[in-house]
Amino acid sequence: MSERGENSILNRISSISFSVLSPSEIRKYAVVEITVPETYDEDGMPIQGGLMDNRLGVLEPGQKCGTCGNPAQTCPGHFGYIELAEPVIHIAFVDNVQKYLDTTCRKCGRLLLPKEELDEYKKQLDAAKGDQLLTEKIEKEIIAKAKKTKICPHCGARKRDIQLQKPTTFFEITEEGAAVRLTTTQIREWLERIPDSDVELLGYNPRSARPEWYILQVLPVPPVTVRPSIILETGIRSEDDLTHKLVDILRINQRVAESKEYGTPPLILQDQADLLQWHVTTYFDNETSGIPQAHHRSGRPLRTLAQRLKGKEGRFRGNLSGKRVDFSSRTVISPDPNLDISEVGVPYDVAMRLTVPERVTPWNIDFLKQLVKNGPDKYPGANYVITPAGVKIRLEYAQNREQLAENLTYDYVVERHLMDGDVVLFNRQPSLHRMSIMAHFVKVLPGRTFRLHPAVCPPYNADFDGDEMNLHVPQSEEAQAEAMNLMKVQGQIISPRYGAPIMGAIRDYITGAFLLTKEETKLAKKEFANLAYTGGYRGPLPESESISGRGLVSTFLPKDFNFIGSSKWVGKKNDVLIKNGQLLSGYIDKAMIGAEEPDSMLHRITKDYGPEMARSLLDSLLRIFKEYLTRRGFSYGYDDLEIPEEVKRQLGDIVKEAQMNVAKWIELYRQGKLPVIKGVRLEDMLEDYIMRELSNARDRAAKVVEKVITESNPGLIMARTGARGSSLNLGQMMAMLGQQSIRGKRISRGFNGRALAHFKKGDESPEARGFIEKSFRDGLTPIEFFFHSMAGREGLVDTAVRTQQSGYLQRRLINAMEHLKVEYDLTVRDPEGGIVQFKYGDDGVDPSKSDHGLAVNVRRLIEIIKTTDSGSPASKEFIENAVKSVEAKLTPKLRNDLLKHLPESGLSEKATLEACRLTVEKYEASLVEPGEAVGVVAAQSVGEPGTQMTLRTFHFAGVRERDVTLGLPRLIELLDARKEPTTPAMEIYLDEEYRSSAEKAQEVARSIIFTRLASVVEDSYIDPVEGTITFVISEARARDRGLTVEDIAKALEGKRKVEVKGNRITLNMNSHDLITLKAQREKILNQKVSGIPGILNASVVKRDDEWVIETSGSNLAKVLMFPHVDSSRTISNNIHEVANVLGIEAARNVLIREIIGVLQEQGLEVDYRHISLIADIMTSRGMILPIGRHGIVGMKSSVLAKAAFEITVPTLAEAASKGLSDDLLGVTENVIVGSTIPVGTGMVDIYM
Amino acid sequence: MSMGLKPEDILRHKYIPKHEVLTDEEVKAVLEKYHATKEQLPKIKLSDPVVRALKAKPGDVIRIIRESETAGQSEYYRVVVQD
Repeated sequence: MSERGENSILNRISSISFSVLSPSEIRKYAVVEITVPETYDEDGMPIQGGLMDNRLGVLEPGQKCGTCGNPAQTCPGHFGYIELAEPVIHIAFVDNVQKYLDTTCRKCGRLLLPKEELDEYKKQLDAAKGDQLLTEKIEKEIIAKAKKTKICPHCGARKRDIQLQKPTTFFEITEEGAAVRLTTTQIREWLERIPDSDVELLGYNPRSARPEWYILQVLPVPPVTVRPSIILETGIRSEDDLTHKLVDILRINQRVAESKEYGTPPLILQDQADLLQWHVTTYFDNETSGIPQAHHRSGRPLRTLAQRLKGKEGRFRGNLSGKRVDFSSRTVISPDPNLDISEVGVPYDVAMRLTVPERVTPWNIDFLKQLVKNGPDKYPGANYVITPAGVKIRLEYAQNREQLAENLTYDYVVERHLMDGDVVLFNRQPSLHRMSIMAHFVKVLPGRTFRLHPAVCPPYNADFDGDEMNLHVPQSEEAQAEAMNLMKVQGQIISPRYGAPIMGAIRDYITGAFLLTKEETKLAKKEFANLAYTGGYRGPLPESESISGRGLVSTFLPKDFNFIGSSKWVGKKNDVLIKNGQLLSGYIDKAMIGAEEPDSMLHRITKDYGPEMARSLLDSLLRIFKEYLTRRGFSYGYDDLEIPEEVKRQLGDIVKEAQMNVAKWIELYRQGKLPVIKGVRLEDMLEDYIMRELSNARDRAAKVVEKVITESNPGLIMARTGARGSSLNLGQMMAMLGQQSIRGKRISRGFNGRALAHFKKGDESPEARGFIEKSFRDGLTPIEFFFHSMAGREGLVDTAVRTQQSGYLQRRLINAMEHLKVEYDLTVRDPEGGIVQFKYGDDGVDPSKSDHGLAVNVRRLIEIIKTTDSGSPASKEFIENAVKSVEAKLTPKLRNDLLKHLPESGLSEKATLEACRLTVEKYEASLVEPGEAVGVVAAQSVGEPGTQMTLRTFHFAGVRERDVTLGLPRLIELLDARKEPTTPAMEIYLDEEYRSSAEKAQEVARSIIFTRLASVVEDSYIDPVEGTITFVISEARARDRGLTVEDIAKALEGKRKVEVKGNRITLNMNSHDLITLKAQREKILNQKVSGIPGILNASVVKRDDEWVIETSGSNLAKVLMFPHVDSSRTISNNIHEVANVLGIEAARNVLIREIIGVLQEQGLEVDYRHISLIADIMTSRGMILPIGRHGIVGMKSSVLAKAAFEITVPTLAEAASKGLSDDLLGVTENVIVGSTIPVGTGMVDIYM
Repeated sequence: MSMGLKPEDILRHKYIPKHEVLTDEEVKAVLEKYHATKEQLPKIKLSDPVVRALKAKPGDVIRIIRESETAGQSEYYRVVVQD
């Protein structure tokens, strides 16, 4: 094998432990002490004892390392060290230092707790070993207690408060209250006194990090290989940022040392020491808050150690989790309908650079010899030959290729050009789901672009407006085999997100399919022959001279295929009928063969006949659809948008009518006669009426136009078949564009009181607020065009914001769930064996093997059996017994399905048994494969549709009193497990007595709305002479909330005297001071009069025969106890509240319900199994953990995985202090160290 | 926060699946079935309203019988932990 072959693996990393280097270790590891701040002398030679000392390693080829004697390629580099003249605090450990100073004695260094308590806590910690949460809790308690102690129980010294002036200066507050600076030397001596046993109690490991090691006396100098200098074209040497920083440190260090020697005054010395501290701090982290950044001469901030690790381009994410690869290629993509869907067209230029290593065998030796002879410049050829000794010969420079070719023997490996039939991985970013990288077979073609079949555009989300894609060539046989078996295009036809095809016909294919399968489409024998041949049909021609289009389609269907379905064409229900592979009636359109369509003909074929059949069917059918459409001709032009004069007049009338109606509403508003709904501002009400009027006008216009479009109109055909466009688009082109909106409202901003300078202030007319009465065909006026552009801009901004937000959500989801996999017992576990689900998705079924979410589609299975069944129907008992015999092997749902559908079907006894047997067989076939990375699949399945969601925050649900946050913001809020939703809401069900009457329900609704006095008071007076405050109650407003003046008076009673006179309530305040009274009035106005705190609004809605209260604002605990509330069904949308009141399981249910609700509202389909897995991992610790660094990712046991996610440096520092080790059980960790990931095929190996 | 409503009443709520405390034998059987230790089971807090209603103690294992969209019915187990 090659140098990276499996034989070269000697050992695997089993774990990585983290610790802090002690000063003696630093000195021991170092090969040289660095003392000179200069790097090179005048001759350009590295100065001995300088930062470029050749004992630290060498950079340029040809040089020899001063320590190991190796040249640059093989010398690993060696550390040096700097003796610091003054100790310096390590910036990553300042918090730890503070913790020690806060909790230990300044005299004796002991932890500030009595001996007995120390022993007790030690016992507790020993008992809690392994339980991360409990350990942390105990440690926190120790710290809190020790902080409070005033006098040391060990030596009796009085404790002083410690103050940290960020980032690195510590002060002691003396008994007199003065702040005295603690020098680093003092701190170091203090920390040295702390005994190991106390260090352990604080949660640190003294063997990996003694507290005094946080204060640096020696600074390690990394080898030059870590900070290589680069030589610019001008010949000037440019040093690395780290080298610059180390030079600064050395300079100031020298000055401090000299000052100390000369006895400089302490004040100046301290200043110099602080400067040294600053240099060392910025050397570690140049983004430390509270201090100025260190800059390069050019003004650019230096990129120092922390910056090298952190962030997207940092070491972890940029070089360890993701690496650059060889054998890859990128170019523009273009469509090629003549390819198979599993192929990719590769340009010759690319095929001649990318190579596949092929071992010489008796079967290919002649072939490979020829390739070697052809060499790198003649296709097909080869670029390299690797001899059995492992020597790589580059054929470009080989003098005698003929000779070389003749010398080939069986142990040679030839790196030959990419050829037809090779497997490659094809990818388009953003790689949002697993179908973004699929294995294709190479087809080498002329040209400069990658070619792909249009039917695979949907999974890649690709189009051809300049998109580029990447191609990777797997090099080992193992990789090729995995690609072929797991990643083939046809194997990915069914999306795991919803268990239905994601690939299929698009655009013109659908138009072609529709036109071909129309009743009147008849093909002459010759046409039929041509089309059938392009579709790959080889066989006898039919007898008749004229064959229908449906007959042509039938030629390619499996002969025993039976199917009933509905096409997308309006008004067609169950029109598509296929019997024994003959398409008898119905149109083939998007609903039958389109991409992203569940329960289509394509879906059935894929499920029943397997992916290979689906592939060949798509290849054949799509080719003939395209061919038919090309020959027939199809176009959409200006004259297809033409409408008769008569209709134009009608459109004009509709607009005029709408304008008049709007004017009427405005008039009513001006007169104050506008009908209102309570709780809604008058202006909003008017806007609402106008908006409704105008959208109504657009709909009517579209309808009028629709009536005159014929069914042969190409636009209509495309819209109705699902090929492209919608009836809305047709309306916009032919009738009118309608209202342009910004943030869901008519356009109102821009100028003061008007949208554009062309209108009068306060003009509320449709034209002035962005209503466009023209169609695209008519053309827009400049003003209309401007409004249209405003709305268009909003769309663009929205998309830009959304992609960012959903991208980050996706990353968090993946990081939180990547380590979850299915074990052999079908449980879902994390790498430590912690169970998240006891059976994946409750039934153990892989959604991508499911039938649109169902483990087995029992109804359809029975239907199929029925077609070949004969005999009398089985009895009820027989069915029950038959089902009982297989029950143990099925889920309760499948059993119920069988019991439900079998009696209805009237199958014979034999067929009944067959149905049961097949159900078990199909169920077992649809089970997940052990090792499947279900976490990643779930994360992708929820993250990917995030991109397609609207950002629109508010949506008026039904009667417009309730705002509900929906779409992406709500999804993020749910997965973030925010403490309080942006729009908390409740659904309150009522008891039997109250649920059937609207009035009674309204009564409850009124009485739960939280009302303060202020909201029912019209006016108030203060009488300082009498010492009273009088409130004038608005009876109308009180009535709205079901209150009388007496009720209000009662609520205000208490210590004070209350008097009621008509609608006036007078309170006697026992005070005559005006200022006091005024303050008290404010207080009383804020007082609760009735209702439940938190319930802002409540309205009554009818839902399946009963009245339900919907609220904005929520208070589950209180509402559940409210009279007449059905406490067994009432629920809130606040998951934390539900967890507190009803428990974690109820919270899980609400979480699932809410996520499904958000996705459903957006029309996005996601399998229940994915959502339940997310909900289960969020709740599996007994509380709701957010998807993110504070939640699930933060709980991960792996240091590396956490460091790679977000908080890189503090995570590593903590791991070092605690002496943690990473056992490399998860996915990210193994990617980082470069070994196979313990998931899927990475879990197994061949034993030999 | 969960004051007021009596624990028994909470259990009737339709969003709360059936919870039951397992006997020692049952716990043993469950752990054996899944080759798991108690620490590897999902957790439920001692302060969880349902745990309080069932008067379960830390270390108890609770069987939860959930209604499931995919399987019809499914079982889940949680071990009671201190919070």
